[in-house]
This record gives sequence, structure tokens and C-alpha cells, in this order.
Amino acid sequence: MNKSEIFADGFWHNNTIFAQLLGMCPLLGVTTSAENGFWMGAATLLVLTGSNLVVSMVRGVIPKNVRIPSYITIIAAFVTIVGMAMNAWMHEMYLILGLFIPLIVVNCAILGRAEAFASKNSVSDALMDAIGVGLGFTFALVLLGGVRELFGQGEFFGFNVFGESYPDVLMFILPPGAFIALGFILAAINLINRSIASRAESRAQADALSKDIPATVEAQ
Amino acid sequence: MMKLDKDQIRMVIALFVVAAIAAILLATTDIITREPIAAAQKAALRQALQQVLPEHANDPQNDKITLANNNTVAVIYPAKDSAGHIAGLAWEVVAPDGYSGSIRILVGVRPDGSVFAIRVTRHQETPGLGDGIVKNHAWLASFVGQSLGSRIWKVKKDGGDFDQFTGATITPRAVVKAVKGALEFFKQQKTAIFARLASAKMNHQAGGAHE
Repeated sequence: MNKSEIFADGFWHNNTIFAQLLGMCPLLGVTTSAENGFWMGAATLLVLTGSNLVVSMVRGVIPKNVRIPSYITIIAAFVTIVGMAMNAWMHEMYLILGLFIPLIVVNCAILGRAEAFASKNSVSDALMDAIGVGLGFTFALVLLGGVRELFGQGEFFGFNVFGESYPDVLMFILPPGAFIALGFILAAINLINRSIASRAESRAQADALSKDIPATVEAQ
Repeated sequence: MMKLDKDQIRMVIALFVVAAIAAILLATTDIITREPIAAAQKAALRQALQQVLPEHANDPQNDKITLANNNTVAVIYPAKDSAGHIAGLAWEVVAPDGYSGSIRILVGVRPDGSVFAIRVTRHQETPGLGDGIVKNHAWLASFVGQSLGSRIWKVKKDGGDFDQFTGATITPRAVVKAVKGALEFFKQQKTAIFARLASAKMNHQAGGAHE
């Protein structure tokens, strides 16, 4: 796989949320607004980049039997560093995200990338994978947070969209709204993927047809 | 004794090295971020104190006193006007009986024992329901100027004078109870608090004289 394929795979085709449905806990927990989703995604992206880089660097050095505890230690170290940095320089957001920052340690998506990709690929490929997967995760969180904020409070990134008279739809802010919004987003993503696939198929057929025609003409 | 083979030794060394490097990195980060974290916490507290204390000329965090009272330690932040008189006092109380977890409230009182203002500093209440204790300014304002005698310190559902919210009674009930507790604490400890403030001031002046 080349670099852009690795990126596209992590960002879209194997998106943590939309394709694998992993990392549901932070997804549903913090996405009450687009901004919360963005910073949670950014924190996860940082941790994933760090852990993928280090795991790729030490591949072949760490004995197979202790690789999981080693990876978890590496991931936990990065999570704690990101948490402390946020506490110091983004204090308010740190208080909002609260427990979900330390919980990045157990985001199975991160250990999953370390085990399934970074431990088997070069450092530059692992970096590209981390950026693709991390941005894909951030995209998903911002999308879901944006939808919930828009319909729940009539705002997007804190800016009023629907005007002051918009009646807040409480359900979108509460956890059930997260599930419902996620369901509709997943349906939309599947529609997009299907239309891409069918368009590619019809193009392939058209190509095949245009090749066939001169052949048949010659045959006659 | 069990003999360790080569592979086992390699495992131990690998885990040890990973853990040691992680420890060094974390210690370094702690050293770098310790001061900014303390500064950020202080700034957040200063902002909250600004909202619950009357106008003051001092730095309430510099003049704080701690008062131990039946296993609870209250840190009290005094607001003083330019003449050095106490204009108000603020301290944090914890309502342990919120809807989800405990609620921390900064209560500011005037020297006569009435509420100057209250602000919720930390909570995990349901967004859109219980978080009215942060967002509902009219409700927060209903505490202003009230003292123990001027109100029945319960929500209306319980026969008191304070509104509950649509769909949320437990949260405002917990806050009202905690603020009432704060006023009772002030009533009982008023003499002790003012004695401590006076002696702290004396020490401060004595310290100033040595300089």
C-alpha cells in the first residue's frame, strides 16, 4: 500500500467509527457539541501518533510475549502526557472532557492500530496510518457533535444557527440522541459508499463496453 | 530454584526498559507542567471568586484562611475593601447528593450572613436538565440577598421558596441544601472566622514590619 492508500484506508474505508464501530465510549460520551468532539479527537490523534511511532520504532526489539503490556505502557504514557498538557494549557476543556481523557488508554482503536499496523510496518507508514485514523476519528466526533449541537441547541461550534427562538431539543443532547444521530449518520455514509461503488461499477461496465464495440465491428 | 531461560530474561529487560523510559518521560512532563497547571487552577478560582465576592481591593487567594471544623476543612477567601474592612467571604461547599456525583459550589456571603452570590464550580449533572444550576441565571439570582431567616431553604416541591427545574428536582434540591448548610456554618463559626481573619491580618502586618 502506498501512503495515500494508507491514509484513505484509515480515514474513510476503515474509519474507526463509521466502518469498525470502535471507540463508542468517547464518541457517545463527549459529543454533546462540535467543539468537545474536536478536542477529544485532537487528543486521540496526538496519542495515536505518538504510540504508532514508538511501537513501529521498537518493532522487532520487543519480545512477542510481552508486546501487549509494552504497548499499553507506551499508550498510557502518551495519554498521561497529553492529559497533563491539556490541564496546564487548556484548563477549561480539560475540565469538560474530564474522565474521557485518561480513558483514551482503553480506546481499543489505539491498541488496535499498534498491534495490527504499527508493529508490522515502517515508521513512516505507521505515521501516515496514525494521521489517517486519527483524523478520521476526529472527523467522526466533530460530525456527530455538530449534528447533536445543531439539533439539540441550534448552534454549531457555539455560533447560533437557527436563531434565538429555536426550542432546544433535549433528546439530542442526552445519550439516546447520540445513538439516534449516529444511526442516521451511518445510514448516510453507507448510502455514499454504495453510490460510489455503483458508479465505479457502471464506469467499469462502460469501459468494457467501449472496448467491446470496436472488437465486434472488426469481427463483422 | 526455577531457572530463567534467555527468552524470559529478554522479556523482563524489555518491559523494564519500556517502563523506565515511560517513567522518565512522565516525570519530565510533570516538572514542565506543574507550574502552568497550578497557575491555570489559580486563574480559574480567581475568575469564580470574582463572581461571588463584592468588589474588593485585596487578592482573596493571598488572604485565605483555613478553618478546621468537625472533620471538614474550609478554605475561606475574604474580600476586603480599600480600608481593609471585610466586604464579603467566599468558600466552597460540596453537595454530595447531586443527580450524578457531587456538586461543588462556591458560596459568597456578606458579613451579615446573607448570600452575595453563588456559582457552581464543578458538576456532572445532565446537560439540558440539571445543568440549569449553571446556566439558569434567574435561578442563581434568586439566592442573592437571602439569609437563613428570609427564606425557607427548600425547593418549592418540598414546601420551600426555591424553584426546581422542569424535569430536574434532585439537582436544585442538593444545591439549596448545600447553600443552606454553608449559611449555617457561617452563623456558627462567624466569631471564629472573624477572629482568625483579624489575627491573620495582625501577622501580616507584623510580617510587613520586619521587611
